[in-house]
Amino acid sequence: MRKVLKNEAVQAFIASVICILLGILIGYIVLLFINPAGAGESIVNVIKNFFTWSRPASQMKQLGNTLAKTMPLILCSLSILFSYKVGLFNIGTAGQYVAGACASLYAALAWGWGWLPCVLFAVFAGAFLGTITGLLKAYCNVNEVISGIMLNWISLYLTNTLLTNVKETASPYTLYLDKTNPKALLPTLGLDTLFNKNANVTIAVPITILAAFAVWIILSKTKLGYELKATGNNKNAAKYAGMAQNRNIIMTLAISGALAGLAAALLYLTGYMRWECTQSSVPSMGFNGIAAAFLGGLHPLGAIFSSFFIQHITDGGQYVNTNFYSSQISDVISSVIIYLCGFVLFIKLTMKKILANKEEKKGAK
Amino acid sequence: MLLLIQYTLIFASVLLLVALGGCISEHSGVINLGLEGIMVVGALGGALVMSSLGTSSAFVMVLVAMLAAILAGMLYSCLLGVAAIHFKADQTLVGTAMNLLATAAATVFVKAMNTAANPDNHSSEIEYISARKMFIVNINGFEFNWFMLVAVIAVVLVYFLLYKNRLGLRLMACGEHPQAAASVGVSVYKMRWTGVLMSGALGGLGGLCYILAGVSVWKFENGVAGFGFLALAVMIFGQWKPTRIALAALIFGLFRALSNTYTGFPFLVSLNLPGNVYNMMPYIVCLIVLAFTSKASRAPKAEGIPYDKGSR
Amino acid sequence: MSGTHASEYAIEMLHITKRFPGIIANDDVTLQLRHGEIHALLGENGAGKSTLMSVLFGLYQAEEGTIKKDGKEVKINNPNDANALGIGMVHQHFKLVECFTVLDNIIMGVEPVGALGFLQKKQAREKVLELSRKYGLQVDPDAKIEDITVGMQQRTEILKMLYRDNEILIFDEPTAVLTPQEIEELMQIMRNLAAEGKSILFISHKLAEIMAVADRCSVLRKGKYIGTVETKDTTMEELSAMMVGRNVNFHVEKKPAVPGDVVLEVSHMTVASKVHNNNAVKDVSFKVRRGEIVCIAGIDGNGQSELVYGITGLEPLVSGSILMDGKDITKSSIRKRSVSGMSHIPEDRHKHGLVLDYSLEYNMILQTYFESRFTKKIGFLRRKNIREYSDKLIEQYDVRSGQGSLTTARSMSGGNQQKAIIAREIDKDPEVLVAVQPTRGLDVGAIEYIHKQLVAQRDAGKAVLLISLELDEVMDVPDRILVMYEGEIVGELDPKQTTQEELGLYMAGAKRDEVKDA
Repeated sequence: MRKVLKNEAVQAFIASVICILLGILIGYIVLLFINPAGAGESIVNVIKNFFTWSRPASQMKQLGNTLAKTMPLILCSLSILFSYKVGLFNIGTAGQYVAGACASLYAALAWGWGWLPCVLFAVFAGAFLGTITGLLKAYCNVNEVISGIMLNWISLYLTNTLLTNVKETASPYTLYLDKTNPKALLPTLGLDTLFNKNANVTIAVPITILAAFAVWIILSKTKLGYELKATGNNKNAAKYAGMAQNRNIIMTLAISGALAGLAAALLYLTGYMRWECTQSSVPSMGFNGIAAAFLGGLHPLGAIFSSFFIQHITDGGQYVNTNFYSSQISDVISSVIIYLCGFVLFIKLTMKKILANKEEKKGAK
Repeated sequence: MLLLIQYTLIFASVLLLVALGGCISEHSGVINLGLEGIMVVGALGGALVMSSLGTSSAFVMVLVAMLAAILAGMLYSCLLGVAAIHFKADQTLVGTAMNLLATAAATVFVKAMNTAANPDNHSSEIEYISARKMFIVNINGFEFNWFMLVAVIAVVLVYFLLYKNRLGLRLMACGEHPQAAASVGVSVYKMRWTGVLMSGALGGLGGLCYILAGVSVWKFENGVAGFGFLALAVMIFGQWKPTRIALAALIFGLFRALSNTYTGFPFLVSLNLPGNVYNMMPYIVCLIVLAFTSKASRAPKAEGIPYDKGSR
Repeated sequence: MSGTHASEYAIEMLHITKRFPGIIANDDVTLQLRHGEIHALLGENGAGKSTLMSVLFGLYQAEEGTIKKDGKEVKINNPNDANALGIGMVHQHFKLVECFTVLDNIIMGVEPVGALGFLQKKQAREKVLELSRKYGLQVDPDAKIEDITVGMQQRTEILKMLYRDNEILIFDEPTAVLTPQEIEELMQIMRNLAAEGKSILFISHKLAEIMAVADRCSVLRKGKYIGTVETKDTTMEELSAMMVGRNVNFHVEKKPAVPGDVVLEVSHMTVASKVHNNNAVKDVSFKVRRGEIVCIAGIDGNGQSELVYGITGLEPLVSGSILMDGKDITKSSIRKRSVSGMSHIPEDRHKHGLVLDYSLEYNMILQTYFESRFTKKIGFLRRKNIREYSDKLIEQYDVRSGQGSLTTARSMSGGNQQKAIIAREIDKDPEVLVAVQPTRGLDVGAIEYIHKQLVAQRDAGKAVLLISLELDEVMDVPDRILVMYEGEIVGELDPKQTTQEELGLYMAGAKRDEVKDA
């Protein structure tokens, strides 16, 4: 038992669980504070999400929707953690995601491209935005958090402007993908049948899982990962060892941006979501990626599970009793979880200390 | 033209207040990326007072609303203080979490409040039409906002605090070389808390000022549109010096004001650019300015590094 | 003087024990300081001197033992308590805020203020000026710390103590950064202070200085108290035996050098400084040949670091050229230089030498990870080969660590971290070995080992460029000495012919020759 507890991965898992439980507890307290009557039921609904439906078929359909949104979240969290391992906090993931949405939708709706070129174009757009942040960081020493935020807003307004060309005349939303250009829809590979004919479940699922494994392998088993992590841990030593520091910074943010761009394409090309051209805030997908990345212990495979959890409770937000509460309670819970992730180091140290004390006592006896 | 000056001054006031907050916090050694969230919470505190305080006295209204914003900002900044000063948490992560939490929590709170008052009202808006008038003195068509004066006072106070006062001397020592400060008996934790709380107060004030800048109703779902980060850019451009920050705030304020007032300039209208271009301007200018000024940055040496009593 | 005091001792630290996780830094240590004496505290790096002083200064709290001031027991929980008891300290790494003025640094913590905490510096300035006249401590109170010399910074630290009317003054390794002449001045200042009735604790591992200035000397070894002796009744040999626990041969055994072809040729090299606007290295030219050790000597901060950055490629040159084996490498990348035969043992092993959160095996391949023996063509690391290689180096160079190749570099001792770097750099089989302060902060055993490795490299026909601040090392290890002063090479000396005094004159800029091409 003690041996299991000493394992780093197990400690990371326990720390994440503690963050989750505290996050939900705080969410519950907030609900209690607003209106004690329905708080219990609502928090349970947030956690149950699609299980609040009684028919298994409906459950599967809703699970499908949650999965459709989980995939971009996984990719966003991969985007965050990939750059974080190299010592860069890519808060620009949110904007790179927007750029991906813009590129994929514009190519699909205005130019009538097929799904694969649309996806690739989105990847390129995200990478392009990431590269700008990288260039600014490498050559002008601009803090990547601030340039990332600025680029988030720039890409939001740019996207609103561009996508206005392909929006419905009567609404601020972009045209329906399935009516305008069905060949831009992502193929379902028969996955839809597993989820009660939910066509939102597509090739995005295998692509995302593959991406997570690819990021894991790159970081842990390759020369590139060795270089990037060395740069992240000690950039002076990386320079001393002759690694091309600026190239690595730019490449990291480009890859990170590519993942974010891919994320957007894999959501918007399902036709599940349309872009609102009067949107006045950056979509939260990229920011939730931060929560998922840290909650998953900054491990690419951990990100798969943490992303599902975050998306699960985010979707669960719509099942609160809207007579009293708003669905943003899920955002409160996930941002509290991000905040608590800042204490993970402390939680781990405390666990180590307790274990060491116990061992010492045992040794004394 | 008068309108442009008015908007420039009011947006510059917002940026100035928040940037000064960031400046004090960083001089004490803590990077405050949560300013955006602090602004939202400060704005919420002020908005609640403005919508509920039934006073006819402009003086009381202005004073109480500002105090509420200050208090709300300070309380919220404690989240940063606890995590960054005592638990050595990643300051970037904590700041980001605070920004997300502020918008989400403010939305949940305002919606719950609106719903409680009227079961059909699910909006996240607070109105303060009559209160806003009390902040404004109309001088021949120029809407003078008391916040413009507050911002000027803040620059003067922060200048004297940092360069002429014992507190400032000790505070800056903690951001430059905390071990040196500790060795002469200065409590680094206390100074860093002072820095964080002051940034909370100024950030909260800035948040209130922001929602009073041009409108009389605020939708809290929207947060403060990256103004907290623009303020950090202003701080970097101002090289962490209060007087230069004031200048930088004016420049950024001008570009932000253009998006509100460009329709009043026939020349700009004749360019026939989409309105979004003007929305983008402050952010683009910010990036360009940062690209040229970040290289020779004179950031406090120990900022962002958790202070550990044991290390020497 | 002593008649007016309640006790013979100004400060007594009795049976102090201080533990850190894994080690006992002070184990039942006793130290008694008389009024008006200069008392040396001698011990190797890691013997526990600094910990003991931190306990006295209130930075750490001891688990066991008592501290007495004038015979009365006192509790010191923080630097404020120490200050209130009249205890002041000049730390080894100065505790000065670089962008503040001298005066601001002196008054910080005891600022004279008026209403609302506004500073009133006029009287403070007068007091500082008066103190600097009285004790001969020349320094401009309005200069910024970042603009003044190390010697002046040290005087600022001394003034800091005097300004607070401290009676007990601690000097932690104060001579490490000074020239021999500055050291002589410092000793005179210390004698003046003692004559005025101040009690002085002088921490050092340099025997000659202790013999010259101290009245008594207490010795620590591996955290334990060994004993206290009167300096007039002892010898350097006896002190050194007490410090190390055995008789040490300070002299490095080596055969005469047999210099061969020129391997490294630096001509008219100029390197910019990151700290100030002037160039840090100015028009420097020299050669290093096969089979010789050339040492760049000088006081810290005279351009040695930048010289190394220029040679190894960490910083670009402003002008000049570098040839290695006759090929121009002036514009080559760091990687290119490394691959074509340059090894670099860096000045700061934590900043440059190691990725502290990487395992030992990953650090062992830091310079060679891209070679085909460690990386497959498609980019995957060959983990088995890496492990075997690392295990081999660990055994060959006797690098000790908790879990062998898998140990995190951060958890290793300084000496073993340095051994790992040396193993990595020497095993590359370089043409030129650039070793920058390779023995900094290490104990005598490790120093001996590293000196032997350097000589072995020389004897194997490599060119060795050693950069050192330690006078003993400069006199013993190299075959030629080049002295650097303010970015220029001001003298070439033969270690067999010269004396420490002559070396000191060059290092201080008091003497210089035209060294056109060394």
